[in-house]
Amino acid sequence: MNNNYLDCLALFGVGGAHPGGLPLTKRILSKEEIDETKSILDAGCGTGQTSAYISKKYQCHVTSLDCNKMMLDKARKRYLSLQLPIEVKHGSTENLPFDKGLFDFILSESVISFTDVSLTLPEFNRVLKPNGVLLAIEMVQEKPTTEGERTTLINFYGVPQLLTESEWCNLFKKFGFKHVHVEEDMQPIDEMDLELGADFALSEDIDGKYFEILEKHEQLTEDYKEVLGFRIFRCCK
Amino acid sequence: MSVGHYHALCRKYMGRAVEIRTRDGRRHRGIIKHVSRNRVYIQPLGRRRNLGGFGYGYGYGYGFGGFGYGLALGTIVGLALIPFFFW
Repeated sequence: MNNNYLDCLALFGVGGAHPGGLPLTKRILSKEEIDETKSILDAGCGTGQTSAYISKKYQCHVTSLDCNKMMLDKARKRYLSLQLPIEVKHGSTENLPFDKGLFDFILSESVISFTDVSLTLPEFNRVLKPNGVLLAIEMVQEKPTTEGERTTLINFYGVPQLLTESEWCNLFKKFGFKHVHVEEDMQPIDEMDLELGADFALSEDIDGKYFEILEKHEQLTEDYKEVLGFRIFRCCK
Repeated sequence: MSVGHYHALCRKYMGRAVEIRTRDGRRHRGIIKHVSRNRVYIQPLGRRRNLGGFGYGYGYGYGFGGFGYGLALGTIVGLALIPFFFW
């Protein structure tokens, strides 16, 4: 996969690169029944902030998957330094390197959005246990856009599509998730919350063009804050 | 605020994106890479074309070292986390 935005996240080693950050992850997981017998796939783990949190908090079996090798290296370093027994796998959500029916939970934190949904969702469904749950925090389009705005966003973020909340729900159902519960994150933002500020694990000698990408991203975030939002989807087979 | 205060704060914000204001009125945006006894080293954010504009000068208290861009803790008058949002 060739995606400048995701390469940029990898080089800067952004931990918790998803809306809501670690505080939202914690809130979502706290509503689930997780104990040490459960098996969780952190699909698109990035630098492994979430996997590390789950492993430490619940002592369950955690598998971290990412398609970006630089991200996985940074995740491995994190687990090693924290001495956490997390299984690390390189691979794509569109073609998962796992047998069927392995996981109780799959966590996708702004990951499906960057993939071909029609390939990723059947794969998630396949590797989940019969009563397994997919928890996904994903980008949604909140308002209609012009063709030009759409192209700008799709080209910059390298997402194959922009989906509205109802389009997401229809796709989850189409690919085998019978019950889909949608939630909007209404938690007020605490700007001094240290966990909300992304943590960076920088690579040495980052090419200047990636600083420009970061700056463009900041600009787009501001310009499109009414257009792009996110939802928390809880999907059962 | 004292040097000790900013030393503790910079250590707490290690690896985070911050905006630091210095006594001369400049603002420095960057990611904290290292904190020594009297300096904080940041990886500056922003385009290189703004050289100077973002406070890349070599004036009093500034300088590049092995850890990037160093600011003397004694020149800091303000420090805030930049709430970065990522998809």
